[in-house]
Amino acid sequence: MARPKFQVGDTVRIKDRTTLFHTRTQKFIRKRVGTIVEHRPEWVIPEDEAWDRMETGRKEPFYVIRFKQTELWPDYTGLAHDTLETEASESWLEAVKG
Amino acid sequence: MAKHHGDGHHDGHNAFDVSSKVSEFEILELAVRELAIEKGIFSAEDHRRFAEWAEGVGPHGGSKLVAKAWSDPAFKQRLLENGTEACKEVGIDWLQPTGVGTPSDYTFFYVLENTPQVHNVIVCTLCSCYPRPVLGMSPDWYRTPSYRRRMVRRPREVLAEFGLHLPADVEVRVHDSNQKSRFMVMPMRPEGTEGWSEEQLARIVTRDTMIGVALPRADRTSDAGSLAEQAR
Repeated sequence: MARPKFQVGDTVRIKDRTTLFHTRTQKFIRKRVGTIVEHRPEWVIPEDEAWDRMETGRKEPFYVIRFKQTELWPDYTGLAHDTLETEASESWLEAVKG
Repeated sequence: MAKHHGDGHHDGHNAFDVSSKVSEFEILELAVRELAIEKGIFSAEDHRRFAEWAEGVGPHGGSKLVAKAWSDPAFKQRLLENGTEACKEVGIDWLQPTGVGTPSDYTFFYVLENTPQVHNVIVCTLCSCYPRPVLGMSPDWYRTPSYRRRMVRRPREVLAEFGLHLPADVEVRVHDSNQKSRFMVMPMRPEGTEGWSEEQLARIVTRDTMIGVALPRADRTSDAGSLAEQAR
């Protein structure tokens, strides 16, 4: 079990990586900044699971990231304290100094 | 063409035609299923039992979980800490949901507790991930691109379309279940339910209240109930 690189409360940015094939990292969270709110168990990343590489696929820790809706959508019509949570594996995240 | 004008609205509107057409996805499903059966991955009987289970499961398990949590603070704690384990107490096993060894893609289950400050709502923008062992099959609207695109982007408008207007001091928290986790909302226990039994409580915890597009009420026991009331 790899030690998770990020801790609850850390500020992270979702990378905008090239994805030739399958991924489960949504376009609308890429390049956006959020806060880690929970750890999730280590698992084969979807990019490898899609090819059924359950034994040989890359395993990574997963995180729940909470975004302010106004960070995701510049024209957000709701209220400033509204949020969205979703999950990503570690290699999609980069630390943001803050 | 002018002489056909009168019945023009029948064009492409033959219900029998539509139902007799087999979509590409149906053909794909059939082909993959037949291959899996031929390869011995599962049997036709396994498949039938899974389909029977999936179609019959319904949201009752979820209602039971919420009613029990409202009645028993210790159970509520267990449910919030380890949803998958706590489900076994009401007879739901996420790892073997059908009890017949059919592999499951449901892996981790988390219950989202509503509070006076935070209202939770679930969506899956990538496909239609849904906590089937506790809520059964998802409603058709949950799988539409309209709900999936708009719930993440304009949640308050979408909730208002369901008749749910939340006060400005409540944070709307959308959960996009894009990975291995499946979520269910635990609504707040409404007023007027003091002294109720778990069975009574379970009846007002409808599917929509556990998706997060409605709130339970003491006088509402069905997601269609409010429509019936309006029609009266």
